[in-house]
This record gives sequence, structure tokens and C-alpha cells, in this order.
Amino acid sequence: MVRAVPGWLRIAAFVFVLLAAIFMLAPLVVVMGVSVSESQFVAFPPQGFTFRWYENALGSPAYLGAFWLSLNLAVLVTVSASLLGGAAAIGLSRGRRSGGAVETFFLSPLVLPSIIFAIGLLMLWSAVFGATSFYALWLAHTVVAIPYVIRTTLAVLAERDPFLEEAARTMGATRLKRLWFVTLPQCRPGLLAGAFFAFNISFDEAVLSLFLRNPNLTTLPVQIYGQLEFSPDPTVAAVSTLMILITVALMLILERMLGLTRFASG
Amino acid sequence: MTDRRETWLFLLPGLALLVVGFIFPIARMLVLSVQGPDGHTVDQFARFFQDTFYPSILWRTVYLSALITAICAAIGFPLAYIMARSGPRVRLWLVIMVILPLMTSVVVRTFGWMVLLSRSGLIASTLRDFGLVGRSFQLMHTETAIVLGMVQVLLPFMVLSLLGVIIRLDPRLEEAARTMGCSFLQTMRRVVLPLAAPGLLAGSILVFTLSASSFVTPALLGGPRIEVLAGSIYKNVTQTLDWNFAAAQAVILFAGIALLLIPYLRLGRRAHG
Repeated sequence: MVRAVPGWLRIAAFVFVLLAAIFMLAPLVVVMGVSVSESQFVAFPPQGFTFRWYENALGSPAYLGAFWLSLNLAVLVTVSASLLGGAAAIGLSRGRRSGGAVETFFLSPLVLPSIIFAIGLLMLWSAVFGATSFYALWLAHTVVAIPYVIRTTLAVLAERDPFLEEAARTMGATRLKRLWFVTLPQCRPGLLAGAFFAFNISFDEAVLSLFLRNPNLTTLPVQIYGQLEFSPDPTVAAVSTLMILITVALMLILERMLGLTRFASG
Repeated sequence: MTDRRETWLFLLPGLALLVVGFIFPIARMLVLSVQGPDGHTVDQFARFFQDTFYPSILWRTVYLSALITAICAAIGFPLAYIMARSGPRVRLWLVIMVILPLMTSVVVRTFGWMVLLSRSGLIASTLRDFGLVGRSFQLMHTETAIVLGMVQVLLPFMVLSLLGVIIRLDPRLEEAARTMGCSFLQTMRRVVLPLAAPGLLAGSILVFTLSASSFVTPALLGGPRIEVLAGSIYKNVTQTLDWNFAAAQAVILFAGIALLLIPYLRLGRRAHG
């Protein structure tokens, strides 16, 4: 190989990556810092160290209520998006070619910004059912989560051995048996990754939840947004830090079980 | 049951949900935008363009999105290249650095920027200490704040679209260019950049559409006086309750995005088939 990269460029690249890392992670670090600062105003660098704001957050009915709503919602969205998205991916993988019209249609919620269908869904729901409800949020979040499940599952199915199912068929396995013993095990890593993404998307989603919110329907991100609009305080930083930690936990599980780089560059 | 029918059985539940939960809402929005007290009307669109207020919001949305896209491309290309050409361990850390913020709620990330950019925040006080700016210097509630925050929010999309393309490039192409006498930077410009163009285009379109349609970060960092189109839609839906006008603005946003996306999707299909 030729002398690959000049030395000064290697140093420049290192500095560049370092600056990019600071730029990308600083907002998260700052929120974590504020959450343990003794100052009752939002301040960074933190002064002293305290868990008082966490006690505050965990004792607040508004935050607790929002947390349970978000958790319920995220779990149900994970189930519905994995079932529907997984089935769709299996169906799509059997089609003759990839990138067809049906696949484009299934992935379209990924391309179209959610604000456009959020406003439409609010208007449609109000016209048909009246006030928005939990089911409206469930439907909305499932629609945006399905494409992620489809993408991760399709990526896994593209690498599978197609003759395995063929072999099962020749050996006389019924449709249900082929699905249960051959196709589903082949889908497993993709379905799992998709399920994690679906949970994460629903738990963190703000746009649809803001449009569909009502006083009895406030998810955790919406609760945080409301507080930020009004006045940021260390308690909201504590809640935000807990949300960051949940994301970190999800990422660690994903990396341990499946490897992140595999789905990152799909 | 034939195989064809079985395939459709797998597709049908998802298709039905998307039609009810995605296509119907968009159709409803389109209908409401042209609905008036007596029949169809384009009054809402006329109202949008009748004075300079709303067109100026539209213009701000477009140029801020273009600026954000350009900055994301300028940072994203070298970052994605470094990621693609580094070893597996380094790459994993770089992927984490990009994905962790991406997977964190946009509300939380914007909060971080609110703290950093505030009047007494780290950035403003550092600049003041070095005497680079005056006492009245303010970053919050400026367009600079929106651009800074949005670039951080959207950079992962650019990096991941570029990484997917660059990682598949054969490194021997670069070696060949180097042996033929190209410098490193010439190789980048003449070999890697043209080959990475599809990823750059996909990433740019994604970043531009997401940026044009976001309102959480612009509303919190730009404040009430610097409005963007998506923020104006949100305000009309939740505060002034003028749904027909909100629908018309959403249609304008939708049309702009469709103008960008449709040529791109057709190009992509031609390249596939």
C-alpha cells in the first residue's frame, strides 16, 4: 500500500473526531450535570452534588403519571409494531424483487415528516371519535415504528439461506410449521432489534404526542417540553437524565445481543 | 391456499393499518385545507400569501434548512469517511457517539442546548471571559441557536446515510488513485466524493425535510419571535385553533417536500432496476 495518510492529516482527523464527539455529546452531559447540581437554578458546570432533584421528580405525580403513560404506550407499540411489521417483512421478502412499490409504501412514514400526518390524524380523530385518547397515540406511534421493524427484519432476511424453507417444504412441513420452525427463527435478530427501536421511538416521540395531547394524555416528552417552555429547572433535568439512562440501557442491550454497527449502516 | 395468497395474508394487516392511520389522515388534511364555510375554497392559501408575514416564515424555514443541511454535509462527510476506514473497535465507539444522541429524545437534547446557550451558559460566559463579545451578547433566541441545535439533532441522519455508502467502497480504488500520483486530498475529491454522492444526496434530502418540518427545537431555541413554518402550524392547531389554516400550511410544507422527494425516488428506482 502507498503511504496512506499524511501525518498532519491524521492529527487533524483526530482533533476533528474529538470536536465532533464533544459537539454531539455535550448537550447530554450538560443535562446530567444540571440534574445533580445543588443550585436551584439551571446551572452548568454543576455546584456541589445532590440527588434532591431526583427525589423531587420521583415524588411528583405529574412526572410519575406521564412516565407510566409513556411506558404503557411504548410496550403496546412494541408489541403491535413487531407483529405487524414482522409479518409485513416476511411478506415483502417473499415478493419477487426488493424496492418494489409495496415496500416503498410500507417505508413511507419514515420519509414523510410526522408533523404532516400528526395534524391529519388529529383532524380525522376529532371528526370521527371526538377527543383524542390513548388509542390515537397507540395508532400514531405504531405507524411510525413499523418501518423500523420492517427494515431491520428485511435486512436479516436478505442474508438468510432461502433453501432452508424449500427443504422443509420438500420434507413435508406444513405452512405453519415452516413459519414457526424456519422463518421465525431466521427473523429473530432483526425482529428483536426492530422491537428495541420501536420501544425507543415511542418512548421518546414528541411531535405526534404534542399534537394528540390533552390534559389527561401527557407523555413524558410532552411533560418535559411543557416544563421547558415554562421554565427549565433541575427537576426536569433529573427526569431528562433518567430518559438518557434508559436510552443507554437499550443501546447496551442492543449491542450485547446483536451488535450495533450491523444495523447502523443498513 | 396458494403462496401468493399467503404472501398477501402477511402484508394485509400492516397495509390496512397504514391506510387507516397514515393515508386517511393525510387525505383529511388535504380536504380540510380547501374547505370553507360554503364549499371548496382556496382562501386559506390566499391568506398565507397575501402579506409578507407568512412568506417570510416560509423563506426563513427554507434558508435555515438549507444552511443546516450544508453544515451537516460538511461535518458528516469526513466523519463518515473516518468511521468507514477505522478499525472495528474505534468504529463501534464512533457509532455510539452518533447513535446515542439520535436515540435520545429531541426534547432532552434541546434542553441541553438551552443550558449551553443561555445568557449565563458555558458558551456565552467563555466568550465574555475572553473579551470576544460584549456584555449584551445573547445566543438564545437567535437563528444561530436554532442552527447549532438542529445540526446536532440531524447530523446522525447524514452520517448514517453516508456511512452505508462509503463502507461498501473498495479501498483498492483509493490505493489505485494514490499509486497513480493523486495526493490524499485529490483522491478524496476525485474518487471518494463522486462515489459517495448517492449517500450524500439521500442524507441531504433527509436532513432538509426533517429540518423544514421540525418545531420542537426551533420553538425552544429560537423563542416565540423567530417562527418557522412547522412552529406556525403547531401554534395554529393548539393555540388559535384555526385548523383549516393549519391544514393549508401543512399542505404547503407537504408540497415542498414532495417536490424534493419525488424526483429523488424516481431516480433511485431507475438506479435499482
